[in-house]
Amino acid sequence: MRASAIVAAADEHRRDERPFPPDADFGTATPGKIGMWVFLLSDANMFAGLLLAYGILRGGSEVWRPPEQPELGINFTAGLTFLLICSSVTMVLAYAAMAEGDRKKAVRFLLLTALGGALFLCGQYHEYFGIWHPGLSERGLEFGSSAYASTFYVTTGFHGAHVFSGVVLLLLTALFTRRGKATLHDIEAVGLFWHFVDLIWILVFTLIYLIPE
Amino acid sequence: MRHVAHANRKQYWFIWGYLLVLTLAEVGVANLSTVSKSLVVSALLLLAVVKAALVGLFYMHLVHETNVLKWTVAIPLASPVLYAVVLIAEASWRHP
Repeated sequence: MRASAIVAAADEHRRDERPFPPDADFGTATPGKIGMWVFLLSDANMFAGLLLAYGILRGGSEVWRPPEQPELGINFTAGLTFLLICSSVTMVLAYAAMAEGDRKKAVRFLLLTALGGALFLCGQYHEYFGIWHPGLSERGLEFGSSAYASTFYVTTGFHGAHVFSGVVLLLLTALFTRRGKATLHDIEAVGLFWHFVDLIWILVFTLIYLIPE
Repeated sequence: MRHVAHANRKQYWFIWGYLLVLTLAEVGVANLSTVSKSLVVSALLLLAVVKAALVGLFYMHLVHETNVLKWTVAIPLASPVLYAVVLIAEASWRHP
């Protein structure tokens, strides 16, 4: 079989929306979905590594936040958390629209989800560098100046990178959906990634921002 | 195609409402100054786990998956908690 024929066959297989014969262990979950879960679990353990390092450093410190460094703003970040939760809703609504065969509506909700992610990134930029009032970096929270500062930037920055890739994935999926090239399975897979980014933020928000001094 | 979908708009909005209320509860609990710190931390961790579980079960559709897939996800997600308890306890013990 020539390479192009193999690619065409694989593509046809991927786009085949007939239900899989139910598997004894995994039911009707597609290989793509199981693959996304396996990726998410490895990604979750990367976050676990960062959060563990944070927990160990904080647990072993006498004074966690150096007195000259600013506290993290809880209320503003709670707003960002709410934004991510809303974007999770628009994501499942995109999935619901696609499940009903309404591609146009699915594209609209995918774009709204990407917008939520982009606004989250703007919020994070404002928190770090300041847009309408001085950001944390201007108020003395410099990367490398304390374990408090470094764990904060590394963990939230790594999450921000995930939001960024999620926004890119969402925009690409919206484009492919508009062109009729994305299937319900594709939207479900990108949705899994997006909800995972939300789920991790729930943990990061609690551990980094909310745990009192 | 339709029977592989588990879209339930009403449920999605209910979960959104729960997540919103739980987030407000978290901010409220974090600002409590009258109770002990360990109680505040335990309440915050519990709230975070409940929120994460709601997202995983209903938005990521784990509730509709087979038990094998549920356990495949739950065990690797829960195992870092074990390391965390041991290592953070050890760090706190060395530097009380």
